[in-house]
Amino acid sequence: MIYLKNVTKFFPTKEGKRYILKDVTLTLPDGNIGILGRNGAGKSTLMRMLGRIEFPTRGTIESPHTFSWPLGLGGGFVGNMTGRSNVKFVCRLYGLDDRRMEEVIEYVREFSELGSYFDMPIKTYSSGMKSRLSFGLSLAFDFDYMLIDETLSVGDARFRKKAKDALMKKIENCHVLLVSHDMKTLREICQTGLLVHEGTLHYFEKVEEAIDRYEEINRSAA
Amino acid sequence: MSVVTEKLRARSPWRIFVSVIKALFLREMGMRMSTGRSGLFWTFAEPFFQVAVFIGIRIAIVGHSGKTTPYDFAVFMASGFIAFNLFKNILNSSTGAFLANKGLFVYKQVKPIDTIFSRALVELFLTAMIVLIFLIVGLYARRQIVPEDFLLVVAGYLWLAFFAVGLGVLVATANTFYMSVGKVVSISSFLLMIFSAVFFPIESLPPVAQEILLYNPVVHFMEMIHAAYLPHLSNRFVDYGYMLEWTLVPWAVGLWYYVRLERKIISA
Repeated sequence: MIYLKNVTKFFPTKEGKRYILKDVTLTLPDGNIGILGRNGAGKSTLMRMLGRIEFPTRGTIESPHTFSWPLGLGGGFVGNMTGRSNVKFVCRLYGLDDRRMEEVIEYVREFSELGSYFDMPIKTYSSGMKSRLSFGLSLAFDFDYMLIDETLSVGDARFRKKAKDALMKKIENCHVLLVSHDMKTLREICQTGLLVHEGTLHYFEKVEEAIDRYEEINRSAA
Repeated sequence: MSVVTEKLRARSPWRIFVSVIKALFLREMGMRMSTGRSGLFWTFAEPFFQVAVFIGIRIAIVGHSGKTTPYDFAVFMASGFIAFNLFKNILNSSTGAFLANKGLFVYKQVKPIDTIFSRALVELFLTAMIVLIFLIVGLYARRQIVPEDFLLVVAGYLWLAFFAVGLGVLVATANTFYMSVGKVVSISSFLLMIFSAVFFPIESLPPVAQEILLYNPVVHFMEMIHAAYLPHLSNRFVDYGYMLEWTLVPWAVGLWYYVRLERKIISA
């Protein structure tokens, strides 16, 4: 469960306050939730608030669950250091002991298929290689909720399939909050939907309903 | 599928803090190493050059480096410069710590202030290495390198570092919102060195200058360290109360300011 209590979030801009959420109170049941909304509606902001790296202007968001870092936002990697030492760093952040750290390293090395690049500085990586590393890293940890921001399109077609399969297997044991503009992905992964629109949240028990509503909004705007 | 089968929870705040600091410390060390040999070389060479240059200046003025002072002049320089560099490096590395580590705040357990603490620990560690090298070189060159009161010297260094971290928190927070703050701090650190009794004892100055310089808290730290290090120097100018004020007030103000803005810094 995720409890939003009187959550208001706005960004000050030159034209005044731009509201993402206006006094939203809502309880989200557990499940794989797809987040929809038009560009700039605040999907990513909502996700960052759930990951506790962005905070509501007023109100509270509470949950007994653990949340991953938002995947796909990039950042967190040091260009001068190797893939391996970056993975080690994240393991240490989560307080893993040496044995489990070795396991994570081995898992990520194998999953990311970086070969000898795994021991080269990240600045020599292509963007695809970087996302493979970060995707593998996130799969190595167990959270109650994975926060995913449009990162299922990493690497080539074969790797994409592998990533998708790994994720599907992973979410048998955890939940996902997925931001995506790809309706096919949303239908595949999510059961419920959350639409961010004009400062409020609409929760749908069927992701299909959320998609219908979203497309309706898009049509009326066009 | 995943490797970490134990769920990631039920860690006390202290445990989280310790693992974050440890991770950041090792990461900073790794970055220092990976920037190539030249960066590391200058870290260790800088104090030797500083001491050499000032001995050179002294020879140019007085004629010879030898027995015009009752204490070992080179040791006096070294203990002063290493201490001042520690202060300066902690302050300067704190200044940009929030901005440089922005990418790490996607991990919610990393609080901005942790980056300051870990950078300060790196500076302390490197300073300890430098001191070790100086001690070895000094013993080999048969100088009066062994401090008169070893523990008091260590206490002086640690207190100075703690003082610098407090200022660092204050400056780093301000620097996130007003970029010129960091610039002013880094420019003024050279001026501060000249007026901090790093390479001269305060007793060598005329009384008026003494009175003015003693408003500078760093002077008190330098005098404390010099007096503890060298048998012929007294600590009669050191005002511990004044040092304590300068430690506690920036820490209190810095923490208050930081806590108010922590969330803004994280999502800035």
